Amino acid sequence: MSDRLLKGLNLKMNQPENQTLALFYCRQVPGGGEAERRALERRYKEALRLFPIPCSGRLEPVHLLKALEEFADAAYVITCPEGACRYFEGNRRARKRVARTRGILAAIGLEPERVGLITGSPETPRTLAEWVPEIFRQIQHLAPSPVLATAVR
Amino acid sequence: MITAEQKPFDEIRGMIAPYRRLLVLGCGSCVAECAAGGEKETAMLGSALRMAAKMNGEDVRIEEKTLDRQCVREFVVLLDETLDRYDAILSLGCGAGVQAVADMYPEIPVIPALDTEFIGETKDQGYWVESCVGCGDCMLYEFGGVCPLARCAKHLLNGPCGGSMNGRCEVDPEQPCAWQIIIDRLGRFDALERLEAIHPPKDWSRKQGRGPRKIMREDQQR
Amino acid sequence: MSRLKHILESGAFAVTAECGPPKGADPGVVLKKADILRGRVDAVNVTDNQTAIVRMSSLAACSLLKGAGLDPVLQMVVRDRNRIALQSDVLGASALGIRNLLCLSGDHPCFGNQPQALGVFDLDSIQFLQAVKAMRDEGRILGGEALSSAPDLFIGAAANPFADPLPFRVVRLAKKIAAGAQFIQTQCIYNLERFVEWLDRARDRGLTEKAFILGGLTPLKSAAMARYMKNKVSGMDVPDDIIRRMEGVPKENQREEGIRICVETIEALKAMPGVSGVHIMAIEWEEAVGEIVERALLLPRSDAPA
Repeated sequence: MSDRLLKGLNLKMNQPENQTLALFYCRQVPGGGEAERRALERRYKEALRLFPIPCSGRLEPVHLLKALEEFADAAYVITCPEGACRYFEGNRRARKRVARTRGILAAIGLEPERVGLITGSPETPRTLAEWVPEIFRQIQHLAPSPVLATAVR
Repeated sequence: MITAEQKPFDEIRGMIAPYRRLLVLGCGSCVAECAAGGEKETAMLGSALRMAAKMNGEDVRIEEKTLDRQCVREFVVLLDETLDRYDAILSLGCGAGVQAVADMYPEIPVIPALDTEFIGETKDQGYWVESCVGCGDCMLYEFGGVCPLARCAKHLLNGPCGGSMNGRCEVDPEQPCAWQIIIDRLGRFDALERLEAIHPPKDWSRKQGRGPRKIMREDQQR
Repeated sequence: MSRLKHILESGAFAVTAECGPPKGADPGVVLKKADILRGRVDAVNVTDNQTAIVRMSSLAACSLLKGAGLDPVLQMVVRDRNRIALQSDVLGASALGIRNLLCLSGDHPCFGNQPQALGVFDLDSIQFLQAVKAMRDEGRILGGEALSSAPDLFIGAAANPFADPLPFRVVRLAKKIAAGAQFIQTQCIYNLERFVEWLDRARDRGLTEKAFILGGLTPLKSAAMARYMKNKVSGMDVPDDIIRRMEGVPKENQREEGIRICVETIEALKAMPGVSGVHIMAIEWEEAVGEIVERALLLPRSDAPA
């Protein structure tokens, strides 16, 4: 396939060149099963790394930090809607931990928006596959991470 | 437990600036309990420092390790074999932990990542409050289990002062007036007459010491 | 000798006022205030780094007032000095001819202009009272060592009838008197009802027989000052009808209204058994003291020597 065609395809998928997203998601997120995950990994290749977790409450700031340290331009988590967490407070904890991580990024001098939290709406649930391009759109404006600048991309 | 808070990130960066090989050392005891220096916080700080270094083009090796306790020799010696990999240790222990490590390894700089604060209790999740000043002469019996030295802003032994309003302290209205609590507590035990007598001046020498205080127990020694 | 003590013991209604030392080294400021107060009061309190703000020392200012022919009341807080310095200053005060001492806790350092200072609080105000009494009556310091000569002081303490808890305030008053307080100056009174409640309890305990109680007063300069004292100053009780009264007159008449309220309060206090005098704290408004005292028919003051 020609380079121009490939570039066009990338833009269609709302995935700016060379951006890598680490995405953590709770197993309750619709379309978050094994088969869907493998399909997404095939489609996005190195641009997307998926991390299913039993509950978004299991997410620790260090998971987000390590992702940014090692390979990601941005690290996001998808949680269940308020009140819908199977373990009651997991999504609330995730929110606090993302906020804490943002504070740490600000102290380092990185944009806090490199980490983010997505909460589905109970009325119009979206699948994992629907969220991915949406999240790439949200992080589109971010420059390649200066942490990874020296790494081979 | 001893409580502490992490120093501002920039201050830590400033102190570790001269060193190329750094060990970030956590402690699994008090500072883990107050979410300042435990294994989690050590991992977070290590990652943050590595990212900041990369962004600034600094060639440093930053690694993490957490000891069960930094203030006990038996745990600190576990570092013996690893220390020649590092130029400096960034300790997330309390002041006692930092110094125990520094005393054990005087040849390597040990830098504090935390500001140690007080002896206190975990009143609620994420909420710690001072309750003991280590005076060496505990008077909790006389005051119904409430220490006026730690919990009264002016550490009055014959309180309350004239600024106690609605059970709040005039110095920090967020805090309850310790003397109101003492009076309520002793009232409940029917022991208010304990407060009629004038409590004599405190023997502060038990707290002040003559330099750093110590305890020697022969029955506990080898 | 203490003019204040002499007047109180003679059964007369005493008048004291407060003098704030300057935030500077000029003795002239103190002497000017002395001139304003001379002949209008029996004794003058000098505050001790009030609100933890650095001012000329109370001991020095009292010495200046003494030299100017007034009877000073040395206020000493336990916030800034340990027991060594406190007892030392007690000896020094007596040596300088100061005959009245008020023992206080003091405001916490965080309120003042040196919030990083260590608050000492080695003794509390009650332990300090006890220590001074022992120095005077037994000629010894804490720990029992004998003094070569004992200080001569009329000892007082402060009381706040408006702080909580009300029942315990009188227990604390009793402790202060047992410790050695011979006269008590109260926090400024706007809520007469609450003051009477406190006084009744004190009288029931026999305390008005054991110590002279002087009701504290601070004339209000404006409605804004009244509101400030109500909301921003701890330990104060300013009832709403006082605020309304101050707000009810035009700004240029508010000082007059404040003085009027003060004079009315003095009239009420004069009539209360158990109250032996008034203590007027006209902060940075010492000129008002003369007017208040005159309108409350408390002039002339006795000529008893200081």
